[in-house]
Amino acid sequence: MVEGSDSYLIRPNHQHKFKPTIVKEYIHEILRERLSGVLYDPESVPELTRSLAETVKDKVKNAGFDKYKLVVQVIIGEQRGQGVKMTSKCLWDADTDNYAADVFMNESLFCLVAVFGSYYY
Amino acid sequence: MEEYSSGDDGNFNSDEISILVKECIEGVIGGTDYNQNKINQWTASIVEHSLTHLVKLGRPFKYIVNCSVMQKSGAGLHTANSCYWDTTTDGSCTVRWENRTMYCVVSVFAVAM
Repeated sequence: MVEGSDSYLIRPNHQHKFKPTIVKEYIHEILRERLSGVLYDPESVPELTRSLAETVKDKVKNAGFDKYKLVVQVIIGEQRGQGVKMTSKCLWDADTDNYAADVFMNESLFCLVAVFGSYYY
Repeated sequence: MEEYSSGDDGNFNSDEISILVKECIEGVIGGTDYNQNKINQWTASIVEHSLTHLVKLGRPFKYIVNCSVMQKSGAGLHTANSCYWDTTTDGSCTVRWENRTMYCVVSVFAVAM
């Protein structure tokens, strides 16, 4: 019995395409759940940033974007009225690759999460 | 018929990229102070120049370049990345730069094709 393999696919099936809107929803949910009411504390924030990155990565991985490599970036900063700007630029295949990002802010901190999905041919 | 050769490295070289990115940052915001009106232009420039130089290296990678600039105000900033990829061929490099009035953090992710 020959098993089908999908290594010949150079474009993802429409169902398996990286969907930014769905991923943005996931990010939004996770941020709301983990950061509502949290105050900026320099001792615990590094661990929180790392663990948020892991959580978002696991959630997106299990969402079924099988042939995608993922990069998740999380930035958390204290709110002190300063200016911040984050920009990204990517060199990839625009037909297959995409990204999703979301921001969460409360009185004492702000948090940016960006997820980039790159199709593995 | 031309044979595709994989070249000298199919692996990501972090040191070389880090030097390249540092030069790009210096070139754009080297002697300047934080200016809210110019910040959009600066971040776009840094990212654009970095990507252009990365492409010139001619390696078989897809690149994601991320740049964050923050004004110095005594506040703290933390970044973390989590990646799901092939650790033998893919890699990332983060460059931190600062001057009197601002911090700049640039991350480059390279994913093999």
